[in-house]
Amino acid sequence: MSIGGTKPTSANLGELLERLLEAGVDFILVGGLAAVIQGAPVTTMDVDIVHSQSPENIARLLAFLKSVDAVQRRMDDNLVEPKERDLSGKGHVLLTTRIGPLDILAVIEGGRTYEDLLEHTVEIDFRGHALRVLDLKTLIELKKTSTDPKDKQRLPVLKETLRQLEEKYGRGHDKEDSPKE
Amino acid sequence: MSEEAKTDDQSGVDRGLIAMFLKMSPEERLQANDNAFRTIMELRDVYRRHKTNERKPR
Repeated sequence: MSIGGTKPTSANLGELLERLLEAGVDFILVGGLAAVIQGAPVTTMDVDIVHSQSPENIARLLAFLKSVDAVQRRMDDNLVEPKERDLSGKGHVLLTTRIGPLDILAVIEGGRTYEDLLEHTVEIDFRGHALRVLDLKTLIELKKTSTDPKDKQRLPVLKETLRQLEEKYGRGHDKEDSPKE
Repeated sequence: MSEEAKTDDQSGVDRGLIAMFLKMSPEERLQANDNAFRTIMELRDVYRRHKTNERKPR
């Protein structure tokens, strides 16, 4: 993986999520890992989150990023730490950390923010914490408009996963975690 | 062949694999992805080292 100035000494996306939750950061899990957690058999190499941009949350997020030695993913070898202004802007902050790649997104498709997406999330009990995950139906709606070839390739898998979930648990399945059989 | 199965063939989606993943808990799915991640990184590393050795003059 081309990650510029540094690379993770280990990759553990589960730990990355757990540490974010422990740090009290308000975020919504989106992207490939949100699909994985809801049952889509895809593989993803990073954690994508949309964060709350309240000043308190940005302070917690910055402290967390420092604790995992986060630096920007760059093509050159410069080590650039994320700053407050990066996290309070409207762009995407793509980082490498000691425990895996982390993409912090202020907005996603259609300019949707943390607050816009909250009503489209499912809360999952993850290692003793409440993890907010963008629901599969909304993920599919967003990916339909994506121009990323990877998203287009994944779309049939996500649709079939949602179809099977609805067949099994009904249309309200995403209001609570799918039971394990 | 049923209409459903035809649709499946057209999309190329492995429905059995999805059914298998849906039987797992979110934690187990996450671990499966992490295991895949580590395996991919290991294989890429092996491949890179192999390519580097190939380029070395004998």
